Amino acid sequence: MWENPHMDMKGPAVLNSKTIRSFAGLVTASLLLAACSSGGSDSEASGEINVFLIPSPSSTAIQSFIPDFEKETGIKVNVSETPYGEAHQKQLLSYQQKAGAYDVAQFDNSFLMPFCQAKAMKPLDEYLSESSEYDIADFSQSQQDYGKCNGETLGLTLSTEPMIQWYRTDIYEKLGLKPATTWDEYYENAKKVQASGAEGQIVGFGPNVSWWWMTLVWSFGGSLYDDNLNPTVNTKEAIAATDYLKKLISVSPKGALTANSDEVTSKFLGENIGAMINYSGYYGSVLDKTINKNEGKIGTAPLPVGAADITHLAGWNIGVPADAKNPTAAWKFLEYVLGKTNAKRYLESGAAAIGRKSITTDSDLLAKFPYLAQLEIPASSRVERYPQIAVWPEFEVAAIEAVTQVLAGKQKTQPALDTLNEKLKPILAKEPKS
Amino acid sequence: MVTKLSGPRATSKRSKGKNLRPVAHFTVPTWIFLFLTILIPFIYGIYISFLNINLASFLPASFIGFDNYLNVLRAPETWSTFQITLVITVFGLLVQIPLGIILALALHENLRGTKIFRSILITPMLLTPVAVGLTYRFMFDTDLGVLNWMLGLLNIEKVNWLGSQTSALFAIIIVDSWQSIPFVMLLVLAALTAISPSLYEAARVDGASSSQIFRNLTLPLITPTLLVITMIKIMDFLKLFDTLFILTRGGPGNATTTLGLWTYKTGFIFLELSRAAALGVIVAIISLPVYFLWRKASKGVR
Repeated sequence: MWENPHMDMKGPAVLNSKTIRSFAGLVTASLLLAACSSGGSDSEASGEINVFLIPSPSSTAIQSFIPDFEKETGIKVNVSETPYGEAHQKQLLSYQQKAGAYDVAQFDNSFLMPFCQAKAMKPLDEYLSESSEYDIADFSQSQQDYGKCNGETLGLTLSTEPMIQWYRTDIYEKLGLKPATTWDEYYENAKKVQASGAEGQIVGFGPNVSWWWMTLVWSFGGSLYDDNLNPTVNTKEAIAATDYLKKLISVSPKGALTANSDEVTSKFLGENIGAMINYSGYYGSVLDKTINKNEGKIGTAPLPVGAADITHLAGWNIGVPADAKNPTAAWKFLEYVLGKTNAKRYLESGAAAIGRKSITTDSDLLAKFPYLAQLEIPASSRVERYPQIAVWPEFEVAAIEAVTQVLAGKQKTQPALDTLNEKLKPILAKEPKS
Repeated sequence: MVTKLSGPRATSKRSKGKNLRPVAHFTVPTWIFLFLTILIPFIYGIYISFLNINLASFLPASFIGFDNYLNVLRAPETWSTFQITLVITVFGLLVQIPLGIILALALHENLRGTKIFRSILITPMLLTPVAVGLTYRFMFDTDLGVLNWMLGLLNIEKVNWLGSQTSALFAIIIVDSWQSIPFVMLLVLAALTAISPSLYEAARVDGASSSQIFRNLTLPLITPTLLVITMIKIMDFLKLFDTLFILTRGGPGNATTTLGLWTYKTGFIFLELSRAAALGVIVAIISLPVYFLWRKASKGVR
């Protein structure tokens, strides 16, 4: 048998009962100390919060406030950033385990419903009703509702990003065009721009085509499903919207067929394209000279109106998880960063704007960020946001597949949407009943 | 017979085993590591494939038998993505193996500049698939890509490389081939080097032409290596993900979504963990014959 030649044969003899007792005592004392210190390091007592963020201009802006917040309140802020692709999965896992890992969490509005169904986020209405600093009345009703589920506010608005119309002021001026007010006008403008030698317009026909498709379906007076969660994607309105989207291909650059939303923006800002339909949150790219080759020539206007006047509202939410260890400090942090006092500073830190009335009507800010005017959602406009269903990801993939078939000319609109409608039935049937 | 078994051979086998025993102990940490990182997750994957875990649902998971498997097998996406995987595999092999052989034969000739050429050829192997995917995505860009710029110089209309199923699959095969051909080439080159030059001399003395030598001598001798390469490549294609994800994300629509990418979407986009586990088990079952063929082919190489 192999033996360790370096083993000190006296070793075991040294571990006599006295030594073992002393060692056990030491271990017990250490454990007690550790337990006490862990109680002591409880985030509430020591004023520590863990903030979960998703890399974005909003996240960068939030982090720029941390040093001042820590200095003013003595609350230590730990940040953990997770890329979008895995952020919500990580949050869901954490909330399922009730680990209390995060006190503040940024999330996409499309995850509001799964979080709501799981009771994963703490309702913030009590804090909101008492906070003059946050001043919820500074938001229009539609924006107050943006983070609500079943009447409870589970997320504050971290960015207000409606789908809007973007256009090249130089091209439109030269051709005597005005931003379109209807979808017909939008197409006609694009045709005129195309005839002048530039590309008419751009939307994303690629992996995010669902964003534009559902905007058009709503705008043409249709819907994706009814109140009983029956799919309604093959109605005449949805067919007209899909046909219109297909018609736009003829006035778009070829690359739009595969472009995702980021690429749509970079093409619009870097190439010679008359107009674009995209979220207002991309205004940050307009200010980025490495992306925007058409500085000073970008204008914004409201989304053209179809059979229905709708606003497709998107944007980040941020809230306090139900299992947060230090919700009071978490609210203090949210109030500090997103409150009225620091609202201007937040915007100027590079974040996508939050549609506070005091921000969207500020003349200084409007001069600097003219797109802020588009964040004022008229009361007449019906606000549509990402479908508030837990099965949305599966729904969206099926919709993208069907719409892509139509856009590629592989299927006619009606049969493609009929098939999609059938396919969506079992998907929607899986939706947990609230 | 008995005498033979208890003879010197049996003794030497026993002593060899005895000699190996201390050495075998050193592999224990590796076995533990493999057990923890491969076997346990694999068994756990099989286990959850019989449950109904959805990450977005906070309800306790329950046992649903083979429902996930039945749903997966009934879903048209499983079969369409399997077809796409097959198309990429077949056409990928048809491009990569012949080109790898041609390059290996050229390098085997030891012509002038062979060493530099070999170093350049293996460079794609050293690059990460994500970087390769991103680079090619820009190259294939319809409006700004270098490929369409070159077509423009020849007055040929722009092609939307990633915009239709056929051209997107073509692009994926091109990118994967660019990275994989050096691998095929290196293995074939090693097989060619192992062939005794005297066999070629004898064939030439017998008056065999170059094509006859290749057909009747080189090809049969490198066939076991080619089989190994084929099996490795089939397994590579079954798990093709990174390049594909960066290049097309499975689009347009699901036109380039392979079985592996569909499993990812099911698990991480739809959050249907149990259904994804069932898909994973099915992919593993599909891979099994390939694995056994690979083992058989490997013995041939030895």
